[in-house]
Amino acid sequence: MDFRQLTVAITAACFLGLGLQSTASAGVIGTQAYLAAQARAGHLADINAALARADVQAQLISLGVDPVNAATRAAALPDAELAQVAGQLQTLPAGGDGLLAVIGVVFIVLLILELTGVIDIFKKV
Amino acid sequence: MATTACTTLTRPLPEDPGRELSGVPFFPQTIHQCGPAALATVLGASGLATTPEQLAPLVYIPGRRGSLQVEMLAAARSQGRLAYLLEPDFAALTAELEAGNPVLVLQDLGALGIHLWHFAAVVGYDQDRELVILRSGTERRRLEPRKRFLRAWRGGQNWAAVITPPDQPAATASGSGFIRALSATERYLSAEARNTAHAVALARWPAEPLVLLANGNQAYATGHLTEAISRYRELLVVESGNLAGRNNLANALLDAGCTVAALQEARQASALVPAGSPLAAAVADTLAKATAADAAGGSTCRAE
Repeated sequence: MDFRQLTVAITAACFLGLGLQSTASAGVIGTQAYLAAQARAGHLADINAALARADVQAQLISLGVDPVNAATRAAALPDAELAQVAGQLQTLPAGGDGLLAVIGVVFIVLLILELTGVIDIFKKV
Repeated sequence: MATTACTTLTRPLPEDPGRELSGVPFFPQTIHQCGPAALATVLGASGLATTPEQLAPLVYIPGRRGSLQVEMLAAARSQGRLAYLLEPDFAALTAELEAGNPVLVLQDLGALGIHLWHFAAVVGYDQDRELVILRSGTERRRLEPRKRFLRAWRGGQNWAAVITPPDQPAATASGSGFIRALSATERYLSAEARNTAHAVALARWPAEPLVLLANGNQAYATGHLTEAISRYRELLVVESGNLAGRNNLANALLDAGCTVAALQEARQASALVPAGSPLAAAVADTLAKATAADAAGGSTCRAE
């Protein structure tokens, strides 16, 4: 078990503990529990959600997010949305670049054209 | 001269309060930070003063040089706001604008297979000139021809969200959609704000099953048994097979001392449980409690 797996296991245990505490009031079906059941997120899925949350937290940290913030952010994701994120933090659309990136692309295209000899604008550089 | 055509089209338009939400704040983005900037824009429009700098620790991912959609919504919720995902069509977007809500959108500004994901806030639509007006990147008032906007928006799967205070449902929200959004934000709200939001939902969607269930649960959680019993009964009139409503009615009746009626409802709830339902345990608990209370000497009461 490497460090990341260990982190995931420990955090999952913490989330599981929280989950168990919150299911203590017997009988009444809360709105969130009802919605979760409608989404077919049963008891097994609760455990998966805890694992997924821990995994998202570890991934956020590995992508440079401050560990304290990563914990808060993983905890802030609802179970239904966790499923969309877990294991996919590298590939999901990450909105970030506007004009700056467009300028970057234009530059790269110009550079390729320059290198392939199609245009000749960087001669003096 | 294609560029001239473009500039003559976009430049001379003055800001028009009839067509756009001029009061929506603007935060020019710094490098890669369109997520926090767009989020601060729509949060500001919902009456919450914040800055991209304050939001960046909640949504920015350095290793991706950007922000994820789910985290944008989660961050809005953590600020006590409802995050409502719109139907992925332009009509829903313009309906929200007409109601005064700026719309957070994800666009793909890339081309040739290179994705350049970008968050922006739509603040207006000029129907005559077919121009979409956005707070985007470093532009306070970006005018995008409708077709170009739609192409970039389609690249973002037509993802659009509206951020509202908890007592102001989005214009295109359904009753169940509102309760889902509220339920995801509830833990960040004060007891008073929760009560108000549920009351608003009940006034607007008095016959929507999920609204009635949520209102019953809210009344039950705050100790208003008579009100909870009324809401659950109204729910069962609309949807007699609602398992959670039947089960929770049994619990509320038990707490009110109405053991005979409670046992009856608990038995009916048990009969409704589908095989393998995650709610089975709660219903079994309810039936056990009701059976025990009945065995200890059943009583009838006024609420029956």
